[in-house]
Amino acid sequence: MALPSKSGLPISRQTLIQLIVYGLVCLAIFIFPFILDNDFLLNRYARYLVLAMVAMALSLSWGYAGILNLGQAMAFGLGSYCMAMALKLRTVPVHTGAGGLPDFMVWNNVESLPWFWVPFYNMPFAIIAGIGVPVAVSFLLGWFMFKGRITGVYVAIITLAALVVANLLIIDAQSVTGGFNGITDLAQLELFGFTFDAYSKSTYFLVAGCLTVSLFVALMVTKSKAGLVLQAVRDHEDRVRFFGYDVASFKVLAFCVSAGIAGLAGMLYTVVLEFASPTFLDVSLSLSIVIWVAVGGRQSLLGAALGAILVAGTQSSLQENEFFLDTWMLIMGALFVLVVLFLPNGLASLVDIIGRALKRGRGPAQRSTSSPAQTSEPAEANVSKQGAE
Amino acid sequence: MDFVLQQLLTGLSIGSILLLVALGLAIIYGTMGVINMAHGEFLMLGAYGAWALKAFFGLGLLESLVIIFIGVAALGYLVERGVIQFLYKRPLDTILATWGIGVILQQSARLLAGGELRYVEMPSILIGQVNIFGVSVAGYRVFIFAFVAAMFAITWFLFYRTSFGMKLRAVVQDQSMASCFGINAKRIYSLTFAYGAGLAGLAGALVAPLKSVSPEMGTTYVVDAFFVVVLGGAQSLFGTVASATLLGEMNGVLAYWYNDTIAKALVLLAIVVLIRFRPQGLFSTRIRS
Repeated sequence: MALPSKSGLPISRQTLIQLIVYGLVCLAIFIFPFILDNDFLLNRYARYLVLAMVAMALSLSWGYAGILNLGQAMAFGLGSYCMAMALKLRTVPVHTGAGGLPDFMVWNNVESLPWFWVPFYNMPFAIIAGIGVPVAVSFLLGWFMFKGRITGVYVAIITLAALVVANLLIIDAQSVTGGFNGITDLAQLELFGFTFDAYSKSTYFLVAGCLTVSLFVALMVTKSKAGLVLQAVRDHEDRVRFFGYDVASFKVLAFCVSAGIAGLAGMLYTVVLEFASPTFLDVSLSLSIVIWVAVGGRQSLLGAALGAILVAGTQSSLQENEFFLDTWMLIMGALFVLVVLFLPNGLASLVDIIGRALKRGRGPAQRSTSSPAQTSEPAEANVSKQGAE
Repeated sequence: MDFVLQQLLTGLSIGSILLLVALGLAIIYGTMGVINMAHGEFLMLGAYGAWALKAFFGLGLLESLVIIFIGVAALGYLVERGVIQFLYKRPLDTILATWGIGVILQQSARLLAGGELRYVEMPSILIGQVNIFGVSVAGYRVFIFAFVAAMFAITWFLFYRTSFGMKLRAVVQDQSMASCFGINAKRIYSLTFAYGAGLAGLAGALVAPLKSVSPEMGTTYVVDAFFVVVLGGAQSLFGTVASATLLGEMNGVLAYWYNDTIAKALVLLAIVVLIRFRPQGLFSTRIRS
């Protein structure tokens, strides 16, 4: 068997397989609309893809850097509000109040557009803000936490508290954020002279494209030196620190990249659903993201993304079914407990488990690696074993 | 002066409810390091228990308390035996597993009792107002305060004056060493978890008359209770009391100056800052890990 690592390629056999699998999945996502020509369903699947993106972002910080961020929805929600603000300012004046003031501001007796809304007339600014604001907030929070060597449960509690604060503030500032109702009646996104109707292939492809790009960017991050350091931090933080690495900076980096992807996903969520609401930043969504990642496999970007699609997809299709309307939550809860108990690394670890079982099943000759009589076989078995890990 | 006292008492009332909810959580977290996300659902079951015992058996709230405590504690025992005991080596995963259990309990309540809001009557002897130094306070809130104080005293006695408590503290200090001396750590864990769950059930029954009972009611309480526990510091019963009082008073005072939402946000920010600089909590006892 020819091993690519020996043939001079700069990547390992495992990475190659990973790239192929990721590529195939992304290809399947792109081919999908040609099989299913239904704009209503495509909108729904676009929504799942957005959720896959935010789950993948969490897997980057949780699975690779060991940061259990219970406030992932904060970055998501901030991104979604940035996009909603920009799209609200583009609605035709009928939907907005006098002088182009958004309707809910008129209802709240706001006289003129607040200063921080003004730059959102500019779409490129809004898109940069949709990623930049979550990254900036996460940078401050991450720097604050990780410089203080806060780990484990305390990170979970602090991120959760930060999320609740953001949620409360957005609901409280009703006159400029729409409060409980959020920002509704939005214009359609226009980019490069192209209009993205939420119920059309164009939006689906926009989401699929962003998911593919961010999936591969995240994969590159995990394969980079920084990614390796992060995994070392996850496994044994102190040792990495003793080697002289600035652990806090690496963690802040992972936290911010994750927030940036989540912010982008949030912006797309607004485009797909055509509104932004404080429920995008609530605790239950944030915990759901954690669930998707845990079910899919926290240490696999693709696993986390597929976990989100699987769970969110099953959830909404079961909800439509008469029989499962009341019981799907029971099923989800039970499934979740079972996954945590028996598959701590999620469904993605099934691939490894099955792979190992197949290898074992291939006969005792390969297993007896200690036997010196077999010269070439043990070497290969070792290499492929390393590949599987 | 009356006004200051009024604010102090409001804060104490909020704090006593916080303590009631957080005490069980603190015991479970402090002993086993398990973050029990299902705690809110245990509380919710306690509240539904109070409603169901009244609706089907005509029992008043005060008579129901013992049954509710035993019932929810038994459920807690089963949960510990069935799920939690396999996860002691993976403390972060307990967050996930207990969340799943919480989802199951919440949906079961919705299926069995219906999604609509339920109401629990206040015991008639506790409806009136009580005059404390010229400030009138709802009698039921005074009752909750007294009840929480009593529960706390019982818990303290259990932990520091009984042989069960001594074993428990030994297990918390050093589980393997305690096991070597013949203490059945597994049994201690199960019973402690059950006790914490039972306390959550009592908390639910007692807060039920103040607000309506719904399947989702636990979530709102449990997040606040977490902050109390983490702020107070694990393994410290008095830390939990102090942080519940502190958070209650802060909430009361800030809500007067600003509004409820801003008060809550400010309290949370204060918690974030406190955890950052004292992750072990405000009051912590040293343990071997």
